[in-house]
Amino acid sequence: MMAITKVDPFTVEVIKRALISAAEQMFVALGRTSKSSVIYEVLDYGCAITDERGRMIAQANGVPGFIGVLTDAVTETLRKFGKEGLYEGDTIIINDPYMGGATHQNDVVLVMPIFYRGQLIMFTASKAHWNDVGGKDPGSWSADATEIYQEGIQFPAVKLYERGQEVRDIVEILERNVRTPEMTLGDMRAQAASMKVAARRVQEVCDKYGLETVLQAVEACMEQGRQEALAELRALPKGEFTAEEYIDDDGLGGDPVLVKVKVTITDEEFIIDFTGSSKTCPGPINSPRSATYSACKTAYKAVVGPHAHPNDGFFSPLKVIIPEDTIFNPKRPAPVSTYWESMSYATDLVWKALAEAVPDRITAGHFLSVCATNVSGISDETGEQFIFAEPNAGGWGAGEGKDGENGLVCSGDGDTYVLSIEVAETRYPIIVDQFALNTSGAGHGKYRGGFGLVKDYRAANSKILVTGSFGRSKFPAWGINGGMDGTPNYMVLIPKGGRPKRFSRISVRPLKRDDVVRFISGSGGGYGNPKERDPELVLNDVLDGYITLKEAREIYGVAIDPKKMTIKEAETRRLRGG
Amino acid sequence: MAKRLAIDIGGTFTDLVVLDEGTGEVLLEKDHTTPENFARGVIKTIEKSGLDPGEINQFVHGTTVVINAITERKGAKTALITTKGFRDVLEIQRANRPDMYNLFYRKPRPFVPRRYRFEVTERLNYKGEVLQELDEEEVREAIEKCKEAGIESIAVCFIHSYANPAHERRVKELIEELYPEAQVTLSHEIIQEWREYERTNTAVLNAYVKPATVRYLRSLEEDLQRLGLTSVKYAMQSNGGTTTFAQAQAVPIHLVESGPIGGVIGAIMIGRAINEENIIAFDMGGTTAKVSLIEHGRLQIKTDYHIEKTATFAGYPVKIPVVDIVEVGAGGGSIGWIDKGGALNVGPQSAGADPGPACYGRGGTEPTVTDANLLAGRLNPDYFLGGEVKLEVKRAEEAMEKIARYFGIETVRAAHGIIRVANANMRGALERVSIERGYDPRDFTMIAYGGAGGLHAPLLARELNLKKVVIPRAPGQFSAWGMLMTDLRHDFIRTQVMPCNEASLERMNRIFAEMSQEALRQFAAEGVSPEAIVLERLMDMRYRGQEHTVRTPVNVERLSATDLAVVQERFHTLHDQAYSFRLADPIEVVNFHLVAWGRVEKPELKRLSTDGRELARAFKGEREVDFDEQGALKSKIYERDLLPVGAEIAGPAVIEEPACTTIVYPGQGLRVDEYGNLVITEVE
Repeated sequence: MMAITKVDPFTVEVIKRALISAAEQMFVALGRTSKSSVIYEVLDYGCAITDERGRMIAQANGVPGFIGVLTDAVTETLRKFGKEGLYEGDTIIINDPYMGGATHQNDVVLVMPIFYRGQLIMFTASKAHWNDVGGKDPGSWSADATEIYQEGIQFPAVKLYERGQEVRDIVEILERNVRTPEMTLGDMRAQAASMKVAARRVQEVCDKYGLETVLQAVEACMEQGRQEALAELRALPKGEFTAEEYIDDDGLGGDPVLVKVKVTITDEEFIIDFTGSSKTCPGPINSPRSATYSACKTAYKAVVGPHAHPNDGFFSPLKVIIPEDTIFNPKRPAPVSTYWESMSYATDLVWKALAEAVPDRITAGHFLSVCATNVSGISDETGEQFIFAEPNAGGWGAGEGKDGENGLVCSGDGDTYVLSIEVAETRYPIIVDQFALNTSGAGHGKYRGGFGLVKDYRAANSKILVTGSFGRSKFPAWGINGGMDGTPNYMVLIPKGGRPKRFSRISVRPLKRDDVVRFISGSGGGYGNPKERDPELVLNDVLDGYITLKEAREIYGVAIDPKKMTIKEAETRRLRGG
Repeated sequence: MAKRLAIDIGGTFTDLVVLDEGTGEVLLEKDHTTPENFARGVIKTIEKSGLDPGEINQFVHGTTVVINAITERKGAKTALITTKGFRDVLEIQRANRPDMYNLFYRKPRPFVPRRYRFEVTERLNYKGEVLQELDEEEVREAIEKCKEAGIESIAVCFIHSYANPAHERRVKELIEELYPEAQVTLSHEIIQEWREYERTNTAVLNAYVKPATVRYLRSLEEDLQRLGLTSVKYAMQSNGGTTTFAQAQAVPIHLVESGPIGGVIGAIMIGRAINEENIIAFDMGGTTAKVSLIEHGRLQIKTDYHIEKTATFAGYPVKIPVVDIVEVGAGGGSIGWIDKGGALNVGPQSAGADPGPACYGRGGTEPTVTDANLLAGRLNPDYFLGGEVKLEVKRAEEAMEKIARYFGIETVRAAHGIIRVANANMRGALERVSIERGYDPRDFTMIAYGGAGGLHAPLLARELNLKKVVIPRAPGQFSAWGMLMTDLRHDFIRTQVMPCNEASLERMNRIFAEMSQEALRQFAAEGVSPEAIVLERLMDMRYRGQEHTVRTPVNVERLSATDLAVVQERFHTLHDQAYSFRLADPIEVVNFHLVAWGRVEKPELKRLSTDGRELARAFKGEREVDFDEQGALKSKIYERDLLPVGAEIAGPAVIEEPACTTIVYPGQGLRVDEYGNLVITEVE
């Protein structure tokens, strides 16, 4: 079947590639010029190009949770200014979580209209984690905020650049409200410059092919995306699928919080309905509407076409129902700064609901939380303020024919990197005592869940402050088909000479020199009965120190001679009851 | 008179080029590559060529032994000794998920399994100060375990070892004492830069390929010696220079991209002869197209090289300087296919040499770029590889039907679809090295080689507004030819972060002086005379607070305050060029980079002889060639080897030679220059 278009399909393909390349160039330019490790090292940002109505045409790899909201940011910009209120060289800044396109205040969206011969033809948009945007705590996001006002300054879609000129008043207000102005303004300018790079490339494409052809090609791409999604939907099992889970607590230490989903798949639609999920929570674990919607896109794409070219044509069969004043669509001024603790559940619920129906695309549950940490303080050596945020990697779930992966970033993060130890120790006054796989238990199964990590930060300063939010601390990743559940995420504070204490959420907790904070992420869920695991693989796991001899015997039913390190066949048969 | 010999082992053929330094005569030969024992193919090709090994005074070798050991996972049984608490760094990697929506993603498997990753107590901080002494007892135990397990090669990488290599060195001494049979790789001997995963992986891959490379180079050396080829022998490195066989055995990972570099060097040499110093080298072969940009006659080097990295796979970082070559899956054998959304794609799957494109008639049924070129009338079915392979139009048509039927179009239009999409992929690569890095393509000349270069370069050059296209002689063996022109090269890189101001001047000059000493010592050991040595100094610089850097030339041996101001301004300009802005913020230096060249004398490029060449004789007749948007046009066909210097041909035309076909589009003109290059430009 061929897409109906006036432009020939090969020219469409060539233009599509050029636009993707423009988005990628924007991505590279920002990463190479940023001033905060969360951008240049972790790559905690996303970039996209949309059409004049805000439909996403092309994206660069990055954080899927970010890319998914950029469409909303452009729509919000259009709602506020209208096409007639936007001029060449304008750039709009949005981080108000209660507006379209926003997640929490740290994640700042810039939107820039692209003009061609005086006509607004497309938008570039990018979203990046800024290290500090003010608020009550260094690094802005906090694990114990009770109102959005504590979480940083809010920009409700205002012009940061007007006809190419920085709006000085806005920049001065920003400068005065953040703790690291040199870094924050540096990142702001890098982000704005990177968008110009993309705009210039889009204009060059129009020069070459003519505007009419480019716009028709964009329409054709959207139609291609839609057709691809429909073809995939037709191949999926139809019906209603449900799942529910509990989030550890309400963000302030209260009771566990119920979240649930109903997924309906038809030949034309993929409907995700969160009706019945908990009300807005008092703590900062609420996921703003755009963030929840983005999490649904991540879930949808993994199920419908993990390798399809993502544009809003591809996403058009997706419908999302999120009742107001719930954890997935909270009410102002509820806090949201650790929104990933619920946003990731939105993705996870969809996968859990469909896990048995779509075993070739979905694996068992993963460690889920961003397990984000924020370390700050005033360096004894330089007297300067330092702040750095980072995600922690963890274990992913096993699937049909495959063990889970050890140590990958969570579903909300994508081509996102963990910080290098040598870079961290050079830049910040900490010493890392270990960075290792956490092999204390796993989601055992015929295919084993992947291992999480353990990382120790020791304070090498008279005082450092640590903030962290490690969800899934009480309810680990789910196993499937008889595979075991994974293991929890948590933190341990180990004061020098004192007693260790376990936490799942801490805010600006002070550490003295040589106190240690240990970050532990959990294993993913297992797939299938552990007693059916190939004994050779069990032996290899023992040889590599992933599991113990005792686990091999008791969980997997494999007896191993501890001297020769070989499988005792007869005993293994007996242990496995066969 | 002395002769130089280059041998380049490729996937299919082993190419030989001999250059007579006196006359400038070039001798070409090729034979099949012998994967079971590469040295045998080398010897066979030398024997087949009939050259006298005694006449050879310089031998340069491009080899795939390193990359093959890695991609086929046939390297040594390798162990890692590392700092306590960090043996899993090799497995955790950077934890990124480039295949963002695929729950079945598999991250790169480490080259050393966990059971052979040994931890020992020791610790340095980032300044290189010892926080914890090396526990030698634990080192001895680890070595003992390696011995028991039959480990052949050991990599050693400690946290912050780039700032103080003492502990790594001590481990080497202990290995040499307790287990001298094992090969040893110390991470700091390859790179002195931060980022523990990248450095550890680099050391591990070097260790992994070391025994195989040592065995291969030793046996080749013996075989050549036996043949009477006693000259000094060099291996082609990924950094665009050569090194002695001895040094190559110490750090074999530098040979990882040994093959494709020769062509880039060759492009620089051609550029020098025709007074073009801004060049895009374009190499299109059977499975991929490779693109590299040369500014002011200088190679572009990158230090974020990865093995096996794709858009959906994280790959393995190797932190060594590698000539910046962008490769895309668009070669003659690349296959056209339709994805689920109904879009036409080309590559990266390739029909390879076996079965090859459908028109080879050897069982291939998928439509490839070569089939498309044949159907468009651009290839002569009776003159492919000089007639060695007869191309079957019918089979190409059958294969192309798949695409044509889907879109409801004629096969020739489908063929043009494949050519267009393949061109779009190559255009992407060309844009990546040029526009995306702030270069204006109009300032660049394309030098195109490889079997399919001449078919695609002229249109790509037109689309990107390049100045002109140059097709050198013997484009099929161009890479081996380029190796003959290559200088010796060593890179020294040190991470030392400091403000870029006058207070740092003394430290900067001291670091460069130390590295220069090291370079001179190394060349002295290799027998390079001091007057042949050229040192280039570069600094990786950034605005304070940034992480990534811009490589900035220093151009002086000792920096004064005035020089420093010049360097700073140069940095601002380069930053602006690459990222479209500059800041007033303070600047920092992060890495000091010394490139040490041992210059090799280069012969003059030989001018084309006039014997028997004449335009009328070269004219072979006419045939219809389909130029896509410009339609099917009657085109003149010429035999390249009979074209005289100064011949001028207006498009539409086709120039044929045994290993390559060149297309001249309507509106383009071709001229044969004094060296026999085909030079294509747009006619006003």
